[in-house]
Amino acid sequence: MRRTTAVIIGAGQSGLAMSFELMQRGIDHIVLERGEVANSWRYERWDSLKLLTPNRMNTVPGIPYDGPDPDGFMSVSGLVARFDTCLARTSFPVKTGTTVLSVVRLDRGYRIQTDQGALEAEAVVMATGACNHPKVPTFAQTAPGDIVQTSPLRYKRPSDLPEGKSLVVGASASGLQLARELQLSGRQVTLAVGNHTRMPRRYRGRDILEWMGRIGVTSTLYSDVPDLDRVRRLPSPTLTADETLDINTLQTLGVEVVGRCVGLEGGEAHFAGSLANTCALADLKMDRLLDTIDAFTTQKEFGDSPSIDARPAPTQLPDDPRLRIDLAREGYTSILWATGFAPDFSWLRAPHFDTKGRLMHDGGIVAKGLYVMGLPYLRYRRSTLLYGANDDANVLANHMQLGFKSVCAA
Amino acid sequence: MKTATLTKAADNGVNVEALLGAREALKQAPPAAQFTWRANCQWFEGAHSRSTINGYFGLGEEQTRETGFDIESDHPALFAATDNAATPLEIVLAALASCLTGGVASIAQHRGVQLNSVHVAVEGDMDMSGVLGIDPDVRNGFSAIRVKFHIDADASATEIAGIVAQSQKRSAVYDIITNPGNVRTTIA
Repeated sequence: MRRTTAVIIGAGQSGLAMSFELMQRGIDHIVLERGEVANSWRYERWDSLKLLTPNRMNTVPGIPYDGPDPDGFMSVSGLVARFDTCLARTSFPVKTGTTVLSVVRLDRGYRIQTDQGALEAEAVVMATGACNHPKVPTFAQTAPGDIVQTSPLRYKRPSDLPEGKSLVVGASASGLQLARELQLSGRQVTLAVGNHTRMPRRYRGRDILEWMGRIGVTSTLYSDVPDLDRVRRLPSPTLTADETLDINTLQTLGVEVVGRCVGLEGGEAHFAGSLANTCALADLKMDRLLDTIDAFTTQKEFGDSPSIDARPAPTQLPDDPRLRIDLAREGYTSILWATGFAPDFSWLRAPHFDTKGRLMHDGGIVAKGLYVMGLPYLRYRRSTLLYGANDDANVLANHMQLGFKSVCAA
Repeated sequence: MKTATLTKAADNGVNVEALLGAREALKQAPPAAQFTWRANCQWFEGAHSRSTINGYFGLGEEQTRETGFDIESDHPALFAATDNAATPLEIVLAALASCLTGGVASIAQHRGVQLNSVHVAVEGDMDMSGVLGIDPDVRNGFSAIRVKFHIDADASATEIAGIVAQSQKRSAVYDIITNPGNVRTTIA
């Protein structure tokens, strides 16, 4: 049985950031990776996707962005190239092609069973991310069999889907981008819009994420958030690399907008009648964020902030959005479920899940010697962004190191 | 700031502390959050009927009120009925209006907004060729529902819009009307 001090599961941004921190501290460890380093970025993203954070924020472990376009948005292949550079510069102890089958607690430490053998470790860091499975509603099973169903994790390009009309379900960043791509490919798209967090890409001359950093929204620690449960459940913002993309611009391209998809019955898709309020809530919430930014700039008298921009127009909707669509009869051939993602910790055999099956943790600390990274608002709002992993890794590595010291002292 | 402002807590007659306390208690004990509401309807004649409402199930046990409530319903004279009471459709519109106004009061209270008056007008359009079986392509129910709020409150127009939007987000009747639901009928 191989023993090591720590095992990191997953060699993506979070896992490598943690590995980097453990190396700095001289903590012996191994990173287990089911596929290749940055596997999700390599194989589970669509071709045209650009990152949703400006280049300056896209640090990989040990390498800040030093390219010519800090305000630009790199493609996923650009990010993968940066991971390859990172691997060339630092020798991470990664064991690729190794799938974890189970993690069980021992009297001291953990036993990690993989398809390549077992290991024992004092500490385990689960860095497999928040997006292992698409969160597809169960009623998807009742869709007519000849309709192709896919998700942003599998979809690569429009030609993956048959000709004909397409129903895109979900209007966060993925749904908006894929609705546009499919509509421009000549497939008539219907977009089902549920709760979403609307945000403009830029405001008053700066990227919105830069503003959120300045007003302190991104630096509020999880333990200072009044309703953490709710915040962790919030849909991710509709931020994309293109500042013009929203429900309004999609409609000018010819995309039909309907309410949240609430069911499929006898080949008919049903949509909620609450679309107007869903969009009103998103618009109001966006305006509150922009109000906060305006108040902040007035308070601080930023000489370098351009005067108040026109705000994004309120979401325009048809008077009578359709409530039902007979998919087969109207020539729909595909459904793309952009309804969010769920993590998968099914291999963790330990009682750390709540009644809804969600992993319980305190800012990334699950139990003694057991850590998790990369979940929504793990420690900060930025915890799921590329640049958020470094800080989280630093704090959790410190915690791990202190834990080892206290064991030695005892 | 020079002027000392006396901030008076908003009072819309909603006990927000009790509601938040109940929310926390039910979060800790999910089975207690399972409620069943009831109405028992007795037919008189024609379209005239009376529903009586009293007991409900909640917090893990049967709950009763000291006095129950009656809601009568009928159809108008236009349909050759006795017009003793509102139509069921109007009762649905009234239920939506009441659910939303109750929500507005609670949310305003929670946000520290004093309401001076709230009035809501609800209209539902209906093509009678649905219920009368004239046109199978027309649905029986409302083809459109419009809700118009008139709110006088110590708040900005944006704050009022936010309260109204949130009241819809958290309204049970609004949810029932805007989403499909299963209804199962048996004969005893």
